[in-house]
Amino acid sequence: MKRRTFVLGSAIAPAALASVDQDIPKYRIVTPYHAEQHYRIPGTVVSVHSAKSIDETTEKADPNVVREMMTRGMLGLTGETKLGDAWRRFIEPSDIVGIKVNCSGAPKVCSNPFVVAEIVRNLTAVGVKPANIQIYERFEDQLKSVGYAKYLDQEVPIQAVEVPRGSIRNYDPKTYVEVDFFGEDDTRSNMIRWVTERFTKIINVPNMKDHGAAGVTGCLKNMAYGNFSNVARSHKWEKTNTKTFIGTLASTEPLRSRVVLNVMDGLKGVWHGGPFVLNPKFVFYPKIIAFTTDPVSADRLLIDIIETERKSKGANSVWDRSRDQLISSGRSVDPTKNHFIREPGHIEYASSLGLGVYDINKIKNKKIEV
Amino acid sequence: MFPILLAAIAIFNGKDVPDCVKLPAPGTNFRPNVATATTAPWVDSNGWRIARAEGKKFCYDVPKDRVVLAMAEADAHHADAIIKFPPEDQPLFDKMTAFLQKIGPGPTHDLGDIAVKEDGSPIAGETLNLFTRRNLTFRIVGANDPKALMNVTVDSSIKDPNEFTYSIRQKLTDEKRLIRVYGSETVLANLTGDGKHVRIHLVNYGRRGADGLRVRVRGSYQIEQSAFFDSDSKAEEYTVTDGGTEFSIPHIDVYGVVDLIAKP
Repeated sequence: MKRRTFVLGSAIAPAALASVDQDIPKYRIVTPYHAEQHYRIPGTVVSVHSAKSIDETTEKADPNVVREMMTRGMLGLTGETKLGDAWRRFIEPSDIVGIKVNCSGAPKVCSNPFVVAEIVRNLTAVGVKPANIQIYERFEDQLKSVGYAKYLDQEVPIQAVEVPRGSIRNYDPKTYVEVDFFGEDDTRSNMIRWVTERFTKIINVPNMKDHGAAGVTGCLKNMAYGNFSNVARSHKWEKTNTKTFIGTLASTEPLRSRVVLNVMDGLKGVWHGGPFVLNPKFVFYPKIIAFTTDPVSADRLLIDIIETERKSKGANSVWDRSRDQLISSGRSVDPTKNHFIREPGHIEYASSLGLGVYDINKIKNKKIEV
Repeated sequence: MFPILLAAIAIFNGKDVPDCVKLPAPGTNFRPNVATATTAPWVDSNGWRIARAEGKKFCYDVPKDRVVLAMAEADAHHADAIIKFPPEDQPLFDKMTAFLQKIGPGPTHDLGDIAVKEDGSPIAGETLNLFTRRNLTFRIVGANDPKALMNVTVDSSIKDPNEFTYSIRQKLTDEKRLIRVYGSETVLANLTGDGKHVRIHLVNYGRRGADGLRVRVRGSYQIEQSAFFDSDSKAEEYTVTDGGTEFSIPHIDVYGVVDLIAKP
């Protein structure tokens, strides 16, 4: 394939927005990949709730309930009556499937192994070979702390990208977003090689969490910061560039096309201090698994979930941009304080790049109770 | 150059060498007690000191495990250096000596985007240090060089060397820079040659090896050879695109060179 350089090529929208928002860094998207057509249902989210899904005392999920939630969610999303047909909307037996888990809050809060195991079970049921399914995360220590292997067929690879941490060997030198945020020396964020060279499809499995920089972290951030190198450079002092960086990364091909399904695991969540679990008191239990092809819609709904929980706990809003909430360093264990000015506007910005539907009045949230 | 280095080592017996410019041990430090905007390591490199005193003799007195880094730095900047090191590091010294002999002496003419006139002040020194640290290639000149991409005066009037360095980078633009190193905050580059034949010297000041570097050099080149100390790495995933030559390096321990030849 001939290499092509897109200077904001896939993103005319940011250039247009630049006329009204001077705070958009100059992004240069370099990718030889083009958009692929896959099954999409923009603006639709299926939220399956079950009070029985997790025991808040032991924090153990019930695998049978999780299986039922997964089944009802996939059928609800696709309108199919047979589970295999629902999965075949997204996956073919010949696919090589990456499952992007989120382990930044592990082991306390992460993509639940029962959810991941159920995804793998369904993929193999439609004919994908276990060796062609790969569980992946950027950092090895976080991934290992979960222990997914106990729950999966031993042929399913479970691999971290940065071994050792900081190594960019497993990132694709041909596919990157270049930007200078704060004068940093390394201005490239490269996409994971498996995404560009190995996977034909990706299933994104984020959690429901507050995020000190991005406001919330759900589908978009797990796609973006979870599939590129050198992303922490987007924050400095109280300033974070997550508003535009998350959507820009998530819209870069082939990641944008190959994430065909988002399964947002909200059995447990984090209402403050995310993406990590700074204190167990910041963990809460939405007991929801959300299914969607639209990362923007799911994240728009996530804002309300996190805001509601924060409000109930007396925390400030994720939209609070006042300077008096800021602390000078470290991560705040006081839910009325934060190190960064959060940028939940990254979700609307991602919508402007064509990644999904942000308008709450246009989002169809099908709620299912199990 | 390694032959001079070897000769110099032979005459050094722990006594002060007259007329040598003393260089601190190269390496990195994390200085959490120093106010800093980033977690980037503090790199102690001497490329700028060597450039400032070109033609002089240099001497290092390095602690354990640093001799190879000092040798790499001296070779990268073609410095006539004398290195004092702990006796137990003799095997490391021998190993690096063998490597330097293997790669052979490269060109000694420094290539640089920026022609610098400087006043020798501490502020100017810190600014040149930051140029080196940021892989902003420069040559110290006595008068403006019309062939340089930029001519800059670096003197004691500079209030903030970091800000000044960044302003120079912005004026130069990243697109026009002679070299970019992606994937490491501790690998610094020096380029020698005549534009047709170029040797890229890559020195890793970090405490551990760096994996998966990507290097971009302005201009269209073919890779003639590459070699890395204590590693079988080779420059790979080579491409020429958008006015630059790029390649990856799977692993760099302390030192490596990539020899390029201009495409016709």
